[in-house]
Amino acid sequence: MKTNRKNNIVKQVKKSPRVKRFMGVLVLILFVGGGLFQPVKAQSKLQTSPGRYHGEMDFPWSWKRYYPYSEWTQMMKDIAKKYPQLATTQSIGKSRMGRDQYLITITNKKTGDDLTKTAMWVDGAIHGNEVNGITCSLYLAWYLLTRYDYDAYVHNLVDQYTFYILPGLNVDANASYVEQPNTENNPREPYRPEDNDGDGLYDEDQTEDVDGDGELSYMFVEDPKGDLKLSPDKRRFISIGDEKDYPGLRFKRIGSEGYDNDGDGLINEDDIGGPDPNRNYPYGWKLSAGDPYPMSENCTRNAYEFMLHHPNIFASFHYHNIGRLIMFAAPQPVKTSGSQAQQMSSYGRRGGRMTTEQRLAQMRKENKYAQLFDRQVPREFQHDLSVQTDIVTMGARILKNYTPVFGGLLGQTLASAYNMLGAYAYLIELWGSPTFDADVNNDGRVSDKEYMDWIDIELTGEGWIKPHPVDHPDLGRVWIGGSGKKHVGRTPPARYIESEALRNTQFVLYCASQFPKVEVDDIDLTDLGDGLYWVDVTVKNDHTYPTASDRSKKLKRIKQDQLFFSTSKNIELVPLDPKLPIIDPYAGRSMRYFGYGGGSSSGGIKPGTGKEIKLWLNAKDKQTYRYLVRKKSGKGWIEIKIHSERGGDDQMRKEI
Amino acid sequence: MIMKQNYFRCGRRGLILLAISVMGAFTLQAQKVPINFNRFHGYTGTQAYLKKVAKAYPNITKLVTIGESTMGRKIQVLIISNRNTGTPLDRYVELRHPRGEVNNVPPMQTDQVKPGLWICASTHGNEFTGTEVCLYDIDKLVTGYGSDQEITDLIDHDVFYICPIVNPDGVFNSVERDIPQRYNSMKKDDDGDGKINEDGPDDLNGDGHITYFRYKNPKGNYIQDEVDPRIMIRIRKGTKTDRQRWSMIREDFDNDGDGKRGEDGEQGIDLNRNFPEGWFDDAGYQGGSGDYPTSAPETRALAEFFTNHHNILMAEFYHTSGGFTFRPMGSLSDNLMNPKDRAVYDFILGKKYVEMMGGDVPQAWLHPDSLDVYRKALEKSSKNSIAIKRGYEFPRLWRVSYDEINDKRYGFGLQADWAFKEFGTYALTTELWNYRKDLPGYTFEGKDAYTRFQRAAIRYQKDHYGGKYFLDWKPFKHPELGEGEIGGWLPQYGSNNAFPGEPLLKVCDTHWQYEKWRASLLPRIEVTQASGRVLEKAGPYRVIEVTAKVENKGKLATQLARGASLPGNRQDVVWLIGNRDKVTFLQGRAFQKIGTLEGTMKIPNQRTGKNKAEVKWIVKVKGNAPLKIVATSQKGGTVVKDVEIK
Repeated sequence: MKTNRKNNIVKQVKKSPRVKRFMGVLVLILFVGGGLFQPVKAQSKLQTSPGRYHGEMDFPWSWKRYYPYSEWTQMMKDIAKKYPQLATTQSIGKSRMGRDQYLITITNKKTGDDLTKTAMWVDGAIHGNEVNGITCSLYLAWYLLTRYDYDAYVHNLVDQYTFYILPGLNVDANASYVEQPNTENNPREPYRPEDNDGDGLYDEDQTEDVDGDGELSYMFVEDPKGDLKLSPDKRRFISIGDEKDYPGLRFKRIGSEGYDNDGDGLINEDDIGGPDPNRNYPYGWKLSAGDPYPMSENCTRNAYEFMLHHPNIFASFHYHNIGRLIMFAAPQPVKTSGSQAQQMSSYGRRGGRMTTEQRLAQMRKENKYAQLFDRQVPREFQHDLSVQTDIVTMGARILKNYTPVFGGLLGQTLASAYNMLGAYAYLIELWGSPTFDADVNNDGRVSDKEYMDWIDIELTGEGWIKPHPVDHPDLGRVWIGGSGKKHVGRTPPARYIESEALRNTQFVLYCASQFPKVEVDDIDLTDLGDGLYWVDVTVKNDHTYPTASDRSKKLKRIKQDQLFFSTSKNIELVPLDPKLPIIDPYAGRSMRYFGYGGGSSSGGIKPGTGKEIKLWLNAKDKQTYRYLVRKKSGKGWIEIKIHSERGGDDQMRKEI
Repeated sequence: MIMKQNYFRCGRRGLILLAISVMGAFTLQAQKVPINFNRFHGYTGTQAYLKKVAKAYPNITKLVTIGESTMGRKIQVLIISNRNTGTPLDRYVELRHPRGEVNNVPPMQTDQVKPGLWICASTHGNEFTGTEVCLYDIDKLVTGYGSDQEITDLIDHDVFYICPIVNPDGVFNSVERDIPQRYNSMKKDDDGDGKINEDGPDDLNGDGHITYFRYKNPKGNYIQDEVDPRIMIRIRKGTKTDRQRWSMIREDFDNDGDGKRGEDGEQGIDLNRNFPEGWFDDAGYQGGSGDYPTSAPETRALAEFFTNHHNILMAEFYHTSGGFTFRPMGSLSDNLMNPKDRAVYDFILGKKYVEMMGGDVPQAWLHPDSLDVYRKALEKSSKNSIAIKRGYEFPRLWRVSYDEINDKRYGFGLQADWAFKEFGTYALTTELWNYRKDLPGYTFEGKDAYTRFQRAAIRYQKDHYGGKYFLDWKPFKHPELGEGEIGGWLPQYGSNNAFPGEPLLKVCDTHWQYEKWRASLLPRIEVTQASGRVLEKAGPYRVIEVTAKVENKGKLATQLARGASLPGNRQDVVWLIGNRDKVTFLQGRAFQKIGTLEGTMKIPNQRTGKNKAEVKWIVKVKGNAPLKIVATSQKGGTVVKDVEIK
């Protein structure tokens, strides 16, 4: 296996021709669109220096704007054409309005079919307006493909694993959000007709761009008794406050820009959009949240069906906006009484009688990104919680100011991905309202002043709609404006797309790098005389993920790891009893190995009971099996193989 | 002897049946699409019939395909309603400046604005008696339109959605291929060998039928009937007997050479466990069937149809057998049922059903105001705490599938539970055909009832069908099991489905009568008054007070107890509609919500609500612009009336 992989690397490297200077090519490719399908031309391969070229200009994409549906899906097709040995773009089905849902599969096809490899699932923009998920997903695909030849880390991941990337899940609403005038909050749901106001009509009163400026803002009417006035800089509507006798122009807020389409006296009361797609997944589904029935929407059903039929998906990412959160799927807490709950929050052995907060504070003295969660879960799921804690600790480090929190249930994608498919699932709330950049006085919130300063300074004045009067057919003279534009609050302004995408790509790649990897660590022989030997076989998984999540074990979605013991003909295996302890005066406490959170919790060496042993290798786990063999004569050999459905294969041979 | 007595006792019923058949013969002449019930129609016959009916009756029927099975067969619904009646609201409300960017809302159909009754069958493919009942209902409806006043009225004002086959693959295999298949045909590796559907039943002797192969086996679970050795009697495991033991299997080879026969046929999953309601178990794991609720194309087709037809108030899901009805819930205790829904179910729907089926109506249902008395009596006699709380035990003919004694649910993901709880319909699961009673001239009771039924049924099919439904046993050497005999019932007959001909007709007619009666309970909204009073004149304008009186003249309320609050459901609404350039609303929104209108029927033990509502507006009208009232109820219909201005 290992040697094979190396050969492949060499082959790959040989395939791509070298190129002398890259600045010229950079300029050339930037301006010549036809350059996209030229063979890869770059300076050199498999860079080790971070300052060197990493293939970005082999297939240049701009990360400075949001793409409409037709463009980003074309880009997916183009990049798959450019890297046919690594990528395939396919439609996994059609949305309600008949748009194809394109998925790109990335893996080195020469090292194996995508289904044979442990896989990462990434989807974005299940909420139509959260199109930052599209750019982050596309960026991940682009990063993997363009860097493959130049980045050993990426190269190994693409050789070993599969990435299934569905940049825009809710394609109908995605398309509208980018291409049409919309507020930052709409459209969010798939286009199932819905009667929001209970008048018997469906989606009959939507928002409209009344002033035709391409943006959807808010409407205000002049009203002598109104409680709003224009701010001194005339950019916002602010409260008149205590100035009851304010003499100037006063306003009343109407709501989002739009008409009274159905003449019922209300504006925008039945906007487009049906059920919340992220309440439409089966696990924890509730009629009140995810109506009308689980997986009722084509876009959610197609995505889930794909996941269901790709049991190799080991972890999944689901991109949302906003909040800078790492919402992770975790086992449900055990139901406890009050006194038990109190005991839970104190850490007896490890940290004295500290509360979770105290313990966390102590941990953070050493690592400011440390995470600890106050949740007691059933013992059978404890390892999953430990694994997730480790992963999101790293997530907090890579994503910087993102906060890990427990993910919800209620028909959310990640709840089904974990609870029904056994995948380690993460919902990333990308970006944040500009708290991080704008909160100058560090009080944890952004005042109007701070917000406008942020618009002026960081966005150099872009992205603001100034209030302006307009004639409205239903309302007469209205003022429209006083709000940010579409891509300012919920989705990052274009200039921040890449910085957001880069960090998130790094986190996804980190998780993939921690997919389980089983290894035969050591074969240790002890001569007992008369041809008898103890053979101590140590197998391990150094990575942060176990070979199967606790949940997938419970769901029986993954087969147990297998340890195979074979010998030359002159060596005979003496089967040991699985229940009896092994007597070994030399193996004291030092011989005990503990996988954390589980593994060989009974400690010590396990008996080698036969030629095939079934086991589970946990995260950062090492297990030793002791076999008893008798060598009849001469020289011989012992060979150990380990096979794990998700953790790969390894083997080792030892001569006696 | 006993049999003879029964025969005479059934004599009068026989006469009635004869009368029905004569009437049937009479209506035959009026049938544009003739149909008889001397054979099962199966998938192919049903398809052909539906197509012909839809073509012959274009003004009152429409055939729609609501989904496709795994094997590519159509799931079809015949919509029966006068297509020229009905008031789609969207034709009356003018929309201005619509965004128009997405065309996601289809125009309303005339059937969607009328009260609806859903009838479907063969969710389990081998329970196809209900398909015949559906076809019988269709025939009665389309031939009765124009000649029968009651039916004409129902078709003009209401809508019947009839889906004779929910599970086309299951029915096709069960009827056309002799392979009884309860499940759908979703691709599934039943035996986990990596191959799909590689080992189903086979026609061993090549006679064109898949019946049974029996062979002598000292470990077998069957013995021959002493009276009629053609009949095999199953004996319980561990039963001792001196008689020759037999094994009996379906005609089958071991197609994949794994030592097992028929372990991986076409069957997929149980559709009546694939619905969303109660699909998960209490620990959050899969309880129902399929990978997730509605994962089957058939289940999803129904879910989608119900979602787009919130006008359905009554729903019937036919199964077999037993000759009784389950009303919801099967997955939740009756303690959690709303008392009002329970009252309608038991005191109204249940009482009628038991009466029509010739059973004894529980005393408590006849005197619901004395429920406390029955409750106290039950406290002494019953171990069923749920029944004690309710005040009565269920009769055999009308019950819930929930295990009330052990307070345990019957199953996960049941369709009637879903239609009731998540859509707010009076859903029923009727188990058609009771072999103990429904073979004309016989009743079978006691331990060996089934064996005695089979003896009679073999005679019956010989007398009526020339003996072609039961094949006499013929020697056959099975390549894997050795010497034995092939024969027995064609699998469609002699067990859980009604015998074609008179027995089937009787089942069909009883249940048609019941559903017709249920349809007569549907709510029916009317605008009883739409008037305007001029309050003031100002230049070209008049200020008018408009009053609309709306009444539900149907028997039942326009929603179930909590129906209006379910997602997708809504309250009844009254619109005042006029030219927007000429009509300005001064008081009252263009549409006003009036809650749920009760029906005219008294529901025992329930507070009588109002079945009327009055709505007012004050509007400013330019010139003589006309005004209209549109009253719209999801399950009570939509009606329009011009406003008379005085």
